[in-house]
Amino acid sequence: MRKKRTAYLLLLPLMGVTALALLACGSVLTQSLGVVPAFGLTEPTLDYYREALTDPAFFSALGVSLRTALLSALAAAALGTALCGALVRLGRDRGPMAYLIRLPILTPHAVTALFAILLLSQTGLLARWARALGLLSEPGAFPQLLFTPSYGGTILAYLWKEIPFVAYFTLALMAGVSRTLGEAAENLGASPLGAFLTVTLPLSLPAVSQAFLIIFLFAFGGYELPLLLGATLPKALPVYAHLAYMHPDLRQRPAAMALYGLILLLSAALAALYGLLTRRLLRRVGGGQ
Amino acid sequence: MKKLTALFLILTMLLSACGGKDTHTPDLSAASWDQIEEAARGTSVTFYGWGGDEDRNNWLASVAAPYMKEHYDITLEVVGMNIDEILAKLAGEKEAGSAAGSIDMIWINGENFYSAKENGLLYGAFLDKLPNTGNYIDTEDPETLNDFCMPIEGYEAPYGRAQMVLYNDSAVTPETPASAQEMLVYCQQYPGKVTYPALPDFTGSAFVRNIVYEICGWEQFQTMEADYDTVKEAIEPALDYLRSLNPYLWNQGRTFPDSSTTVDAMFADGELVLGMSYSPYGVAVGIENGTYTGTTRTFLFENGTIGNTNYMSIAFNSPNPAGAMVVINAMISAELQLSQYEQLRNLPVVSPAKLSGEERAAFDAVDMGQGVLSQEELLTHRLPEMPAKLVPVIEEIWLSEVVGK
Amino acid sequence: MKTSLLLRLFLGAAAFCILLPAALLVLWSAAARWSWPNLLPESWSGRTVAELLFGPQNIWPLLGSSVSLGGAASVLSTLIGLLTARAAALYDFPGRGLVRFAGLLPLLIPGTVFAIGIHLVLLRAGLADTAAGVLLVHVMTALPYSISILTDVTAALGCGLEEQAAVLGAGPARGFFAVSLPELTPGILSSMSMAFILSYSQYFTTLIVGGGRVKTLALVLVPYIQGGDRSLASVYALAFTGSALVVFALFETLIRRWQRRGDKL
Repeated sequence: MRKKRTAYLLLLPLMGVTALALLACGSVLTQSLGVVPAFGLTEPTLDYYREALTDPAFFSALGVSLRTALLSALAAAALGTALCGALVRLGRDRGPMAYLIRLPILTPHAVTALFAILLLSQTGLLARWARALGLLSEPGAFPQLLFTPSYGGTILAYLWKEIPFVAYFTLALMAGVSRTLGEAAENLGASPLGAFLTVTLPLSLPAVSQAFLIIFLFAFGGYELPLLLGATLPKALPVYAHLAYMHPDLRQRPAAMALYGLILLLSAALAALYGLLTRRLLRRVGGGQ
Repeated sequence: MKKLTALFLILTMLLSACGGKDTHTPDLSAASWDQIEEAARGTSVTFYGWGGDEDRNNWLASVAAPYMKEHYDITLEVVGMNIDEILAKLAGEKEAGSAAGSIDMIWINGENFYSAKENGLLYGAFLDKLPNTGNYIDTEDPETLNDFCMPIEGYEAPYGRAQMVLYNDSAVTPETPASAQEMLVYCQQYPGKVTYPALPDFTGSAFVRNIVYEICGWEQFQTMEADYDTVKEAIEPALDYLRSLNPYLWNQGRTFPDSSTTVDAMFADGELVLGMSYSPYGVAVGIENGTYTGTTRTFLFENGTIGNTNYMSIAFNSPNPAGAMVVINAMISAELQLSQYEQLRNLPVVSPAKLSGEERAAFDAVDMGQGVLSQEELLTHRLPEMPAKLVPVIEEIWLSEVVGK
Repeated sequence: MKTSLLLRLFLGAAAFCILLPAALLVLWSAAARWSWPNLLPESWSGRTVAELLFGPQNIWPLLGSSVSLGGAASVLSTLIGLLTARAAALYDFPGRGLVRFAGLLPLLIPGTVFAIGIHLVLLRAGLADTAAGVLLVHVMTALPYSISILTDVTAALGCGLEEQAAVLGAGPARGFFAVSLPELTPGILSSMSMAFILSYSQYFTTLIVGGGRVKTLALVLVPYIQGGDRSLASVYALAFTGSALVVFALFETLIRRWQRRGDKL
């Protein structure tokens, strides 16, 4: 392998950026320990964490967030990989369809929420189509997807954004793999589906797995969609933290920051756990070849 | 790894070395108004406030900004930002010891004013310095002098007035419930078609406070302690009422729309038969741009609805407090208040008694549009806000005692 | 043949799901009133389009700042991503495992926390309320994606080709530019588009770090959505997504032309 010094030189910009990100986390964590000198709070304490962890609302919020993030990320990873496979297989990895899948990715979450409301609400377009087809007569007969404790609308909105994201994120790698090794496998007599399942897909898994982690973390830590489309109770964890943060009494800030601190720690723990799991899994898939 | 740690340390030191500059705000306490105007000439002033209202953005850009340029040679820069973000930004600047801030004027009121003042995020008293305070503002009026029962002590100047109103479409529902009891009957008659925004939405929160006033009266709250149990005991009858409303609300009151804008949209779509708003003339605007039908009309509770004043204040680290004062002074002039009344249909803050005959005639001549109530009707049915500190407490109680109960 | 028909149907369904909300935006932009149960708006209005094109918050300056910020962020993020990807994929050194974690770090931090925390840091560094500060934060947000995309493609390519070039007497720079770069182009393009997308759609970070002084299209769009005027929100959302797609089309036409010229040489 090559010289270590070159590697470190190459990594310098990343180190700078990481240092900044760590500093940013540090300043938030300091506040979560109750240290905000500007408002006369100087004594570090774990009280805010204790308070958060003894509140049952915290755990119901955690449940909502875990469920929403897991369901949306799992479904998006599966469907996104399928979409990517279809694009590669049909040779559409460049061209109009490749543009189109960028549209949901670049749509801000607030706009996605607007879409969800225009389409999925009980007077939304789908309900109107259902009425036009004679399936229902009153808006109330359309299934309630928005603002419900099931977070159905939130999950659907995430899927709309995340399926194309997974496809796009995996596309460069999968197209490369398929062009070289996948086609080689087909030339050696594998069926298209067989070549996809045994060669292209396993070799594209690193990107899929990375994409899964990204969207899971995003859905776990993002507040906009559950705030705009979720139930009044129980709230998703980031919404819970966001409302605490919006509390006008600035001396309540550490309480909100402790919630954010917990989201941060949970995200890191989940990411680490995921890293361990997938490393083992990917090694097994890789070793199977 | 060592290098990373070292880099981290160096960065930390570098960054902390850059902070900690002294805050420097020019001292204006002894300056005369002429001196202030002179100091403000040729400067620019930033005005931070909510940016989601297209009409207000347009008014600020096409009327207020050119006015400041023409009369005072001041460039008014309007920046749209939610108040919690503005306070977060100010808090950050305070924490970093940021010398010159980035914000001059803030659009603020209520709990946010209370918190900003408490935590030293505001510049200080300036209201008495403005000539137009004496010229146009009723300085005896308790409503102007108290923002959610918190004495303003000159820290902010009135900008506009809001009042809670209800609205529905006479072609859809002929009734206009004029009390909490009539409201209950109305909800029973149109089950699933009435709701209100989930607290802490500004309008939803005001609606619930209004119900509290209906059931428990308003006087006792003016001096109440912001203690969870005290407040809960006092509003228990109102909580009972709200729970009795739930079975007839949209989704049986198990869940509520996230914001007043969602409620407005649901009303426009016909999903709801009643809406509520903090802009008393919002219906006229809606009818004009076609969002609402021509038969939509505004109404009030007979015992009155909550009204409040919104204000302009100056940031603690404003780089240009002189300019901010000049702009604020102009904003409370009869001329700009009249223009706001005409174009934004904002209840004015100027005192009719202090207006000249000509000015009063100009205000009276403004056509407020269809489906709205007269200014007199509104002002005679106007109840004062609760102390700012009670508001979050009530929001918390509502969440645990009313939703889904 | 049957599978290919199924795949086509699947793609068609996906395209429909993506385009349906976009089509709704077009209708809503021009709708004045559109109540239940009408399938089309009852009355129309050009108010919002006039606002978008000529109002005080018209899109022209916003487009300029959004596109240049996005462009700069996509170049910087891809550049740093390339450097990092080379180190992570082709070198072995102590702490290599940490690189993947460091690359992911900004993703682990909830958006609000990241914005507030970085605002405090940049305030101290004197970069708050500046375009440079906003650019830096956009690059930080996009970097995990760039690193991830580029590490995958760099690792897939390996360093075999460059080593062959070195054997044939090419210097390291020439080896990279002549041999690896063309192979990496799809990855680079996808990293650049991803970074552009992320920068273009940033709202909260731009707002807090830029202090409202650095105005972008997203910054004007989001308050209009919160403000509840659906027609106005729709027209800005349409301008937002449409302009980004136009930028992509232009960008890729340029790249293709450039590649074709490269092929001829």
